[in-house]
Amino acid sequence: MAGAVSALFLLDIKGRVLVWRDYRGDVSAVQAERFFTKLIEKEGDPESQDPVVFDRGVTYMFIQHNNVFLMAASRQNCNAASILLFLHRVVDVFKHYFEELEEESLRDNFVVVYELLDEMIDFGYPQYTEAKILSEFIKTDAYRMEVTQRPPMAVTNAVSWRSEGIHYKKNEVFLDVVESVNILVNSNGQIIRSDVIGALKMRTYLSGMPECKLGLNDRVLLEAQGRSTKGKAVDLDDIKFHQCVRLARFENDRTISFIPPDGSFDLMTYRLSMQVKPLIWVEAQVEKRSRSRIELTVKARSQFKERSTATNVEIEVPITSDATNPDVRTSMGSATYAPENDALVWKIRSFPGGKEYMMRAEFTLPSISAEEATPERKAPIRVKFEIPYFTVSGIQVRYLKIIEKSGYQALPWVRYITMAGEYELRLI
Amino acid sequence: MAPPNLSQRAPSPSPSQPSGKSEISDLKMQLRQLAGSRALGTDDSKRDLFKKVISYMTIGIDVSSLFSEMVMCSATSDIVLKKMCYLYVGNYAKGNPDLALLTINFLQKDCRDEDPMIRGLALRSLCSLRVANLVEYLVGPLGLGLKDGNAYVRTVAAMGVLKLYHISASACIDAEFPSMLKRLMLNDPDPQVVANCLSSLQDIWSLEASTSEEAAREREALLSKPIVYHILNRIKDFNEWAQCLILDLASNYIPSESDEIFDIMNLLEDRLQHANGAVVLATIKVFLHLTLSMTDVHQQVYERIKAPLLTLVSAGSPEQSYAVLSHLHLLVMRAPMLFSSDYKHFYCQYSEPSYVKKLKLEMLTAIANESNTYEIVTELCEYAANVDVSIARESIRAVGKIALQQYDVNAIVDRLLQFLEMEKDYVTAETLVLVKDLLRKYPQWSHDCIAVVGNISSKNVQEPKAKSALIWMLGEYSQDMADAPYILENLIENWDDEHSSEVRLHLLTAVMKCFFKRPPETHKALGAALAAGLADSHQDVHDRALFYYRLLQYDTSTADRVVNPPKQAVSVFADTQSSEIKDRIFDEFNSLSVIYQKPSYMFIDKEHRGPGDLSEELGNLSVGSEPVDNTLPTQRYEANDNDLLLSTSEKEESRVQASDSSAYSAPEYDSSSLSLVSTGIQSEAPLSVPGLPAYNPQASTDIDDLLGLGLSITPAPPPLKLHPKAVLDPGTFQRKWGQLGISLSQEFSMEPRGVAALTTPQALLRHMQGQSVQCIASGGQPPNFKFFFFAQKADEPSSFFLVECLINSSSAKVQVKIKADDGGASDAFWTLFKSALSKFGLP
Repeated sequence: MAGAVSALFLLDIKGRVLVWRDYRGDVSAVQAERFFTKLIEKEGDPESQDPVVFDRGVTYMFIQHNNVFLMAASRQNCNAASILLFLHRVVDVFKHYFEELEEESLRDNFVVVYELLDEMIDFGYPQYTEAKILSEFIKTDAYRMEVTQRPPMAVTNAVSWRSEGIHYKKNEVFLDVVESVNILVNSNGQIIRSDVIGALKMRTYLSGMPECKLGLNDRVLLEAQGRSTKGKAVDLDDIKFHQCVRLARFENDRTISFIPPDGSFDLMTYRLSMQVKPLIWVEAQVEKRSRSRIELTVKARSQFKERSTATNVEIEVPITSDATNPDVRTSMGSATYAPENDALVWKIRSFPGGKEYMMRAEFTLPSISAEEATPERKAPIRVKFEIPYFTVSGIQVRYLKIIEKSGYQALPWVRYITMAGEYELRLI
Repeated sequence: MAPPNLSQRAPSPSPSQPSGKSEISDLKMQLRQLAGSRALGTDDSKRDLFKKVISYMTIGIDVSSLFSEMVMCSATSDIVLKKMCYLYVGNYAKGNPDLALLTINFLQKDCRDEDPMIRGLALRSLCSLRVANLVEYLVGPLGLGLKDGNAYVRTVAAMGVLKLYHISASACIDAEFPSMLKRLMLNDPDPQVVANCLSSLQDIWSLEASTSEEAAREREALLSKPIVYHILNRIKDFNEWAQCLILDLASNYIPSESDEIFDIMNLLEDRLQHANGAVVLATIKVFLHLTLSMTDVHQQVYERIKAPLLTLVSAGSPEQSYAVLSHLHLLVMRAPMLFSSDYKHFYCQYSEPSYVKKLKLEMLTAIANESNTYEIVTELCEYAANVDVSIARESIRAVGKIALQQYDVNAIVDRLLQFLEMEKDYVTAETLVLVKDLLRKYPQWSHDCIAVVGNISSKNVQEPKAKSALIWMLGEYSQDMADAPYILENLIENWDDEHSSEVRLHLLTAVMKCFFKRPPETHKALGAALAAGLADSHQDVHDRALFYYRLLQYDTSTADRVVNPPKQAVSVFADTQSSEIKDRIFDEFNSLSVIYQKPSYMFIDKEHRGPGDLSEELGNLSVGSEPVDNTLPTQRYEANDNDLLLSTSEKEESRVQASDSSAYSAPEYDSSSLSLVSTGIQSEAPLSVPGLPAYNPQASTDIDDLLGLGLSITPAPPPLKLHPKAVLDPGTFQRKWGQLGISLSQEFSMEPRGVAALTTPQALLRHMQGQSVQCIASGGQPPNFKFFFFAQKADEPSSFFLVECLINSSSAKVQVKIKADDGGASDAFWTLFKSALSKFGLP
């Protein structure tokens, strides 16, 4: 990576420095703090501020996590994309250590924070960001006592993401196939954009150095093997793998083989830009009963097979900000008024396929309103849901083999789930 | 002693704590007691105390007075205690160099500890002290560290060398650390050691290269085939960040034959599937840069990288989308068709932060073409009613930009006019500015637009830009708008309430225009406007009012021609960035340059420029016997900035020449001169110039003489002969380059043979020398070469021609700028130069 990071800052929500580590001695903490507090004050909403800003020869790159800002400063023409990503990795590492990264957890753990910051970057160049590896040689109070310090063996292993000598009584692997559906429907009811982002999330509790092999119903692979692919194979676009997967092997014969890291990680992500039928369709109608009363009718329909059931469905319907006293009735679930979002939130715990539910709401407008002004355009209807045991793409895990030289039997558990990602319908 | 569970928590950082001072002295006491103690559990109590000290340090309480006590307590085998102690020392050593000396002893001792962890940590702390007079103590431990049996210590030592270099470059070079690093880089089994050696060496050699030739050679050697291949073959062993580093190295590598290019790409193909977006981007950079000279492969690369890039945009954090979108924008500028069918990926999501939305809007604007405009504009119109006002504004602007790019704008104009009917102030304001620009490009729409614009009450328009646009339209189309004179009159009555001088300037011009179109109705308003303008405190407003006043006094028909000249539609609005700047940004792909849309020399201080910076190389590279001063490149940039202005004035001049036989009725209207002045109305000033000489042909030659042009009256120049052995020293070249204006600027395509022969700049230099054109400086890397040439007239030793010549070997484009003592001969010289250049590569 061209260009080194001069310093890394952890700042509180007002932009004051909590902890900082100076790597190259060419930026000033005082100046950085002054600049950053001004920046977030000025904008009011830090969300709208570009994550890369320039001030007096120094570039500041930052991300926000809970009530903490992580900011890298550099005087060189550094690689912004990689540094922003690095900051996210730093968050992951802190989360691994402190459960959650927030101002309190940092204040409670200054020493560990410094230790970590020192191992993650040296003189501005990123070193290790694998929490598992770092915890090899930076122990927290919790388990520092029981293990004597060892030299960081794993750091320098050929398999840098896994250390040797891991042992579990029960060897288990959990594999979650998670697909999130992004959909955008315009005001004419047309789907203008849809795609599926999938991830194979793994949690491994395996002893030793296990060799894993994963088989999917990947069309390219199945066709290469001369099997029939009728109806059950999927075309995966643009697959990305965790660094443990042998990419060359995949390029050759589409086999996914790897030695997994210990604990949880994303084995693989993929994207499908396929035309997806909206799994849950929501329509809303607004009727003006009188000058001051409005009636809102919302219909929600599940458009998937009856044997599946969507759970934790949440439909957020925007309403005008000056509405009051909503009177809501639903045919299923419960709806509440959330004035902070100017929306009605309709929650349905369980929504089987092929069903339709209704919500009717009536609310009052202030009696004095601007004359027939063009109606204020608002946010889209947004939907959240989860459908377990179901994938939009039809991806299936055909097998997950685990081979370790000690020859133990490991149990693989596979789950499928589809969730709503950016699911927006501009139908109001 | 503090109870342990209390010390787990950092004390509350209230500054009003009255006991701050006494607490420190308390700590001091306790540390002293523990320093000598060997009792069981001492380490635990120490740990609590140290934690307290570190907490104080972090929240900004000065605990430097504890320095000696901390050092005394550092004799321990507990690693956490040691770490805290190192941290403390590292923090305060720089401010207390004398005290730092105290720590050297125990740090050096720890560097020989049997625990590799402690050796590594101690060495890192030792190198991070940043105290110049302690350098002598660093060299020994560093040398041992580089040879340590444990890889962790070696990784630390490799970085330590770079730290030493930054404290004292000479100490580092004298101890021959760089060559040790190089050996280590090529032989060490541990990937992270190799990676750290590489980053240290890159940094050291590029900083050293400006003073030492050997270092420059070493830096080149890092990019040599054996080294690059050695590391690339091992790339899978490295962790993700080190992979980025290696890929960056590879992107600067210049393969000698095309087979190599394919080998490297095959080797790295799978990196495009890496989960780390930074690795993917770095790989993309390698692919793009390797294939620059192979147009069709380059195109295939674009196709290959499309999917990974789109995934990076939609998956991952918004910050990553932001960084990737900036890169996509750059790529789209180079290959506009690339994403034209994937436009839906750039539709904004409601919940996205606005910095992502803004970039997506830019993308949508950039990829709009005939096939997708309808969908894109429809989508953009949805955003115009967005809750986020700044995004709404941006999307309206985007619609306008698309309209200006397209040929078929019927639908877009309708949409824009609908915006005006939305009656939201900010929507109206943005739209007015756009409608004004549209009318400049498509005057045929004036009828439809004016009808709608006429209905807008000027009271609802407050923003200066929008108000100016409205006023411009009132003036320009006053014959079609019944109320125009009265609206203007109204505005003039409120002259004093108008704060923006821009608006007042426009008002003056508009009322002038209106006056010539509808004199009886505007007479009164004009008088009021001129009076108000003359009394205005703003200099420009005052001057313009005075100018109009005198113009009217002199001759009203002349005045009419000045303010209402016939206009031709603007065909293209100028791009604000020169193609050279864009190429430079592309060279710096995957860095901040792309995000700022500026090449790095514009925002990075010289001493912080990274390795491989082209601008420095240009300054350092010289072919002439004497090295060209480093100031030349900077001057070049200035010259570049001036180019924009210069080129217009040139065109202006050439037009004078063309129209001086009274071609007034159809002045050859040059779009680029107008487009430079984006506000619109001011553009009429340069416009009127070509008209003037028509009144007085004599004056035109006078002006030409005055400008030293004399082009129009000079008979055909005698054939130009060049001095075969011209001499010019770099200093004079530079001075002349600064003094002379550009007399000719051309772009042409080079013969493929010539491009093929251009393997190194030297080949071309020898060839040009044979044609009596000497080179004074050259530089660049494929595909971008840059040359400064000069030539001398054979019969007139004092008359030189200076040439700046940019050759892009992948696009085979050559840009030439000629400056000459005798401007009249530059055309003849250009012919000579071009023919000389096109002979290059012929057998």
